[in-house]
Amino acid sequence: MIVLALLPLVLQTPYWRGILIICAMNVLLALSLNLVLGYTGQLNLGQSAFFAIGAYVSTILIKTNGWNFWLASAVAVVAAGVLGLALAAFAVRLRGHYLAIASLGFAVITYQVLVNWERVTEGVRGIYGILPPPGFGSQIALFYLVGGIALAVYFLLDNVVRSPIGETLRAIREDEVSAASLGINAARWKAFAFGLGAAIAGLAGCFYPGFVGTLVPEAFNIVESFTMLAMVIVGGMGTMIGPVIGAVVLTFLPELLRGIGELRLLVYGLALTLVVLFMPGGIVQAWSALWRKRS
Amino acid sequence: MADFLALAVQQTINGVYLGCLYVMVALGLTLIYGVLNQINFAHADFVTVGAFAAFFAATRFATKALGLADTTGYLLSIVVAFGVGAILGLIINAAVFAPLRERGDELRPLIATIGVSVLLENGQLALFGPIPYQFDSPFARETIRIGRIFFTQQSVVVVLVAATSVAALYAFLRLTFLGKALRAVSQDRETAGLMGINPGLLIALTIVISSALAGMAGALLGPVLVLTPFAGATVVVKAFAIVIIGGFGNLEGTILAGILVGVVEAFTVQYLGSGIIDLVVFSLLLVMLAIKPTGLIAEKKEENV
Amino acid sequence: MKRVIWLFAVAAACAIAPLSAGAQDKVIRVGILMPISGPASYFGVMGKEGIELALEQLKGGVNGYRLQVQYEDSACSPLQATNTVKRVLEQLKPHIVIGEECSDASLAIAPILDQAKVPMLNAGSVTMKLTESGYKYVFRIFPNAEQQSLPLAKVAYETLKARTAVILHEKTNAGNDNADGFEKPFVAMGGKVLAKIDFGRDVNDFTAIATRIASLGKVDVLPTFALEGQTVRLSQALAQAKIVKGGGGSAVQMGSIWLPYGFDQKAGQASEGYVRIVQFDPTENRKIVQDFVKAFKAKYGADKVPTHINAHAYDAILLVAESVRRGATDTESMRDRLSKMKDVEVTTGRITFDGKGQNSDLSVVHFVETQKDLSWKALNWR
Repeated sequence: MIVLALLPLVLQTPYWRGILIICAMNVLLALSLNLVLGYTGQLNLGQSAFFAIGAYVSTILIKTNGWNFWLASAVAVVAAGVLGLALAAFAVRLRGHYLAIASLGFAVITYQVLVNWERVTEGVRGIYGILPPPGFGSQIALFYLVGGIALAVYFLLDNVVRSPIGETLRAIREDEVSAASLGINAARWKAFAFGLGAAIAGLAGCFYPGFVGTLVPEAFNIVESFTMLAMVIVGGMGTMIGPVIGAVVLTFLPELLRGIGELRLLVYGLALTLVVLFMPGGIVQAWSALWRKRS
Repeated sequence: MADFLALAVQQTINGVYLGCLYVMVALGLTLIYGVLNQINFAHADFVTVGAFAAFFAATRFATKALGLADTTGYLLSIVVAFGVGAILGLIINAAVFAPLRERGDELRPLIATIGVSVLLENGQLALFGPIPYQFDSPFARETIRIGRIFFTQQSVVVVLVAATSVAALYAFLRLTFLGKALRAVSQDRETAGLMGINPGLLIALTIVISSALAGMAGALLGPVLVLTPFAGATVVVKAFAIVIIGGFGNLEGTILAGILVGVVEAFTVQYLGSGIIDLVVFSLLLVMLAIKPTGLIAEKKEENV
Repeated sequence: MKRVIWLFAVAAACAIAPLSAGAQDKVIRVGILMPISGPASYFGVMGKEGIELALEQLKGGVNGYRLQVQYEDSACSPLQATNTVKRVLEQLKPHIVIGEECSDASLAIAPILDQAKVPMLNAGSVTMKLTESGYKYVFRIFPNAEQQSLPLAKVAYETLKARTAVILHEKTNAGNDNADGFEKPFVAMGGKVLAKIDFGRDVNDFTAIATRIASLGKVDVLPTFALEGQTVRLSQALAQAKIVKGGGGSAVQMGSIWLPYGFDQKAGQASEGYVRIVQFDPTENRKIVQDFVKAFKAKYGADKVPTHINAHAYDAILLVAESVRRGATDTESMRDRLSKMKDVEVTTGRITFDGKGQNSDLSVVHFVETQKDLSWKALNWR
């Protein structure tokens, strides 16, 4: 924790500090997806939609309507959460691969709306000159802000997961039919998971435009969903620390691989495939296996 | 009125042609899902590989090395693509689906195939580069005109090949022993195993057929697509949508859905604008999922939904 | 625990990260942001070819200075572009940055470079915003959307006597800007735009679009703003629908510099009658152009004709070298020399930057029409 806090001082350059900020955002995203996927067992491939909603709603409110950043973000988070509930409506009736493709379709539709509703979103032209939240203009400050929020969310989710709510979610993940026989209202809890997961993704989205300065729909195409998925899986699905590790690794790995230029994504794909095939529990599992072997 | 009629007929023809292309891509997907209960995200990249294989077979090999006529060369390339697809299927089965089969996990093979998809795309990028290859089918040169309606011989070839493949697949599944065994395995793997059918072999066969179909789709799509390593990505999500709209694992449904999506696209372009094609198609998907998740033609399986 | 170890490893890695700014010998450091991965690598690959050729020819150095470049993959995305520009600024401490190709990415890095007071030389983006936002350090040699589309509109109305148009464009910043750049003047002159049809870069089949156009009535011109691959398919579809000259119709397809030499061969008969403006013309008689074409073929293969993307990237390096020749040794003097350039000859014409950093010399831009044998015929229209 202390190391984390001191990192921006070690990594002095704007480039690496920028990567740290992205890492914090990715941690938020991975945690959000993990709640839905890892703990509730819902095959959600559309998380990028909520990230996008957070980014666009907050930016539009700030730029076009002159709202204050915090208020706009709050509204954006709620909007994302509501959209999450909408997807949950599908999740209630569908399972497995049906849900996977439905959620993908959801993400595609959101993306297409962002691209086509030009009057509101500027579409592919993009929105420029977006400022970071007032008072947090410096990269260190922004990192502490986003990192701090990520930390808070982590603790929040940790508590949720350890509580009876967490058990309910896990019960749904393991066997929905049996869970129903235990009197669990799967629909309500799925809605909870989706809504909360979406809201957190939306929260991450609020900080994204301020950091990049530019907002284009392309940043939220469905490939982003796959990246989030990779973070959760590679880190270790269904654990709390797993997504965090996955986010850190998959944020820094492509940057560290920049030296090899064109082969970067090839290595990325290879890494992902190998991890899934041979380390199903992700890095968390591999690590604890190693730990156990030593003791 | 005659104007409108001609227009409607033309767009319907366009839609059917496009739909047949989509059906070729979606057939393999639905087959894998039906038998294996798995999604192969790399399927569309198999299509791309098939397209490149067909391209090189038709332009470098058939005409230059063997000196065949253009048309024969193209038809030969379809066969080559079929074969290449089959080989890819063997590899992905051995590498991904077989090892992960025992766990009965839905998610891991899906993710693994996402990884394979990234690998294939970037591997092809490294091999072929990003600049589009010009794959022209000799059948596309001549336009056939009937009154105000037009289409090319290529469209005829596509529809014929699609129809033949579907018919062949259908016959295989319903009439041959292997085919019936496949359907048995898809319905109840354990019991099928108890009855002396080797599920492993049959599953491998399914994947091989599915991937071969993908490769062949690539040969048909090559002259339509802008041929780059990313060509598959342009059709993959739509192919999934079609499989769902038609009903996962359901052959007739997939065909119907594919043609439906093609026609919807054509008419969307005509009346609503080409920029929102994806929006319309996926809204259609979500509507289907909301009102009839089992698809246009429901399979009688309990565990679909 | 594990987190701690991992994060320390990361910190160590950054400390070791190459700081290639050699301060001793006389070096001019050039950062290059190109899309090297993803579909947009279409631009990056060609850009790199042009740059590498120029660097090879300048191996002996300029004024005793040698050019050192660092490529970064900005993948056509504002996020990646922002990251890589920061990375390049730190690691290389460049005297100038060349980039990017895509308008979104270029707009994302412009304010960063402007603020860092490092000159930015853009050789590939079309958006008007790049040179209309008041940046002092941004230069562009690529013609912007208005420069490209205005001549098209004028020729369409005045020379081709067109009164109706259907604009076809890809759904990107660049496509939209070019489309608007045609529509405004054309309508102002009295023309009518029957439809503005946009499509994503992933659309492959254009028969439905062609059918739609056929149903719109008499269309005189079809200005098209899309990349080569899609335009080939589009032209073929338009020919099949008997809309354009190449298919037996009467409409004239018009285009901008987006289409490289060789497009006509790929599109076949469908491209007959295509009218477009070109800036880089490999058949042009100027010595610098012919030398470039020869050198390009020698390096990359006798059947590879350079495209305008190759040429613009090549020219970018030429301009850097020219600045050094005129005495540029740091970012300020680099900026100064660039802003003062007048009539500097390059393969894509001549360079004179206006007050906003845009090259305003379009003297070599000319119209060509595709003949029946698919060759270009230069036209004297203006």
